Amino acid sequence: MKSTSLKAYTIAYLIFLYAPIALLPLFAFNDSRVIAFPLSGFTTAWFGEMWADEQLFKALKNSLIIALCTAVLATTLGVFAARASTRYRFPGKAGILGLIMLPLVLPEMIVSMSILVILLAIGIPLSLFTIILGHVLLCTPFAVAILTSAFQSLDRSLEEAACDLGETPLSTFRLIILPLVMPGIISSLLISFTISIDEFIVAYFLGGNQTVLSVYIFGQFRFPTRVPAIMSLGTVLVGLSIVLLTIAEYFRRRGIARAGGKDTGGFL
Amino acid sequence: MTTPDEKPNMIEFRDVQKYYGDYHALRGINATIRAGEFFSLLGPSGCGKTTLLRTIAGFEDISSGAVLIDGKDMARVPANARPTNMVFQSYAIFPHLSVEENVGFGLRRDPRPKDQRARAVAEALEMVGLQGYGKRAAHALSGGQRQRVALARALILKPKVLLLDEPLSALDKKMREQMQVELIRLQRQVGITFILVTHDQEEALVMSDRIAVMFEGQIAQLADPETLYRRPNSRKVADFIGTMNFLPAKVLSEGPTIEIEAEGLGRISLAPDQVMEATSGEGASIGFRPETLSILFDGQATSDREAMGTVAEVVYYGDMTYYDMKLDGASVPMRLSMRNVPGRPVLDLGARARIGWSPGAAVLFR
Repeated sequence: MKSTSLKAYTIAYLIFLYAPIALLPLFAFNDSRVIAFPLSGFTTAWFGEMWADEQLFKALKNSLIIALCTAVLATTLGVFAARASTRYRFPGKAGILGLIMLPLVLPEMIVSMSILVILLAIGIPLSLFTIILGHVLLCTPFAVAILTSAFQSLDRSLEEAACDLGETPLSTFRLIILPLVMPGIISSLLISFTISIDEFIVAYFLGGNQTVLSVYIFGQFRFPTRVPAIMSLGTVLVGLSIVLLTIAEYFRRRGIARAGGKDTGGFL
Repeated sequence: MTTPDEKPNMIEFRDVQKYYGDYHALRGINATIRAGEFFSLLGPSGCGKTTLLRTIAGFEDISSGAVLIDGKDMARVPANARPTNMVFQSYAIFPHLSVEENVGFGLRRDPRPKDQRARAVAEALEMVGLQGYGKRAAHALSGGQRQRVALARALILKPKVLLLDEPLSALDKKMREQMQVELIRLQRQVGITFILVTHDQEEALVMSDRIAVMFEGQIAQLADPETLYRRPNSRKVADFIGTMNFLPAKVLSEGPTIEIEAEGLGRISLAPDQVMEATSGEGASIGFRPETLSILFDGQATSDREAMGTVAEVVYYGDMTYYDMKLDGASVPMRLSMRNVPGRPVLDLGARARIGWSPGAAVLFR
């Protein structure tokens, strides 16, 4: 009795989560410009239309550049912060860490507007670079959170052992610390990349005349005839996300297995 | 045992002080450790023994004083350049490397060709009884095996001093006893100075040539195991190493021998080397180890001296029985241990018995 109601709840919840996403491929292959049931027939024409759209590719290229730069920068900053917070004691540590994590809860709208005002005031033109700045600000707290837990699980005596066996602090970092926190670094890169690539508000405010994917998709919805092509784009993106996540999870599990740790849950 | 008196000094502590903020962790350590010695730092947790070990390795800066290794001041020498290697309490085996990569880690800067380094790794593994384990993943090893890998990894660099930070505390009792014997064998084989940190007094007694007993950042006594056990220089050391019974005593006269009156035992005369200075505030007391007292069963020859007492507690251990005996005229019971031999009864609570003892086994703290 209890288990059947829980089962029903679980199924209802999963439908709520995934039905909209399941509709994407359905309409992407549907032979009609109108998004409505009943389905009229099968076509791959929308994928062709999407493929031929030069604007789309330009926006995609911008998004990838931004996401890659953001992921690398936020993760690098995250490594520094995580290392500092897990290994050293310094005055005002709790306050500084709190301030680093604060953008996690600040409204993006306010953050974007503030950055915009400052950029305009000091005369920096809006570009991909300014979007990257904003995204690094948003992603760094996530990177810090993920990497702090990775660094925390590192036994300090491993570093001392490497040092004891003749390695310098730098080579110890390269030979011991880096390989052991690599799963955390990959997670951080992936999360930052994902946050950046579908981020809208910062990209919209700080992009100037440079369009990124999320802003482009939003713009296309003004033209009803473009919707099926957007659906096919969505289908491709969902497919790529699943592939990316699977690869990342594979590396994460392999990393844990190699380090002999216990799997404490990941993305999948 | 080695004859350490002829050996040169390997480690020298000169008034080593260490503060963590306001906390005074090491309070003026002065000691020397000789080359080739198996030396133990023994004390309860928080006494500074691990901190002292880490000042040798270079993981801990000292606030003042000096640490010398083989005659050289180590003040400006970083951990990676010191002629010491360490076996960590957690073993610190690199989990992402194989056994042979772990053992060979310290040879990364070795100029020898690859095949010679590989041979060195194989020899080190053989020395600790892990031949054939080279390709295994480090995380797949048992506790005892990890410890052997840690030993091989430290010894492969042929350090002047091997530092062992409670290396046996994570092992079960059987394994620990086995590793104690192996460590002694290994130390004799390689002839390197071993410095062991432990809180286990039995372990220190079994393994060491000399032991420094530490309390609250100071060395309370530094001696060989037998001296430490038979002639502890304070009640605190006596209490920490094994069990000791104390009876209140009064000093009557001092001359070539010291005459005292002890509760329940009467007048005793002691040689000067049996007299230790008590910590201030404590009255004089006389101490006996449990095995230096015995119950004299009927028909048994008398000992040096005898006293009468009543059994206040009996604890049966199989091979041994521990009795708490209340001597007539004494305010506190004395614990004594008797080997159980066939035909000898275990006494009941409240039974009266003759206790044999010898003044030579006593230590006076005054």
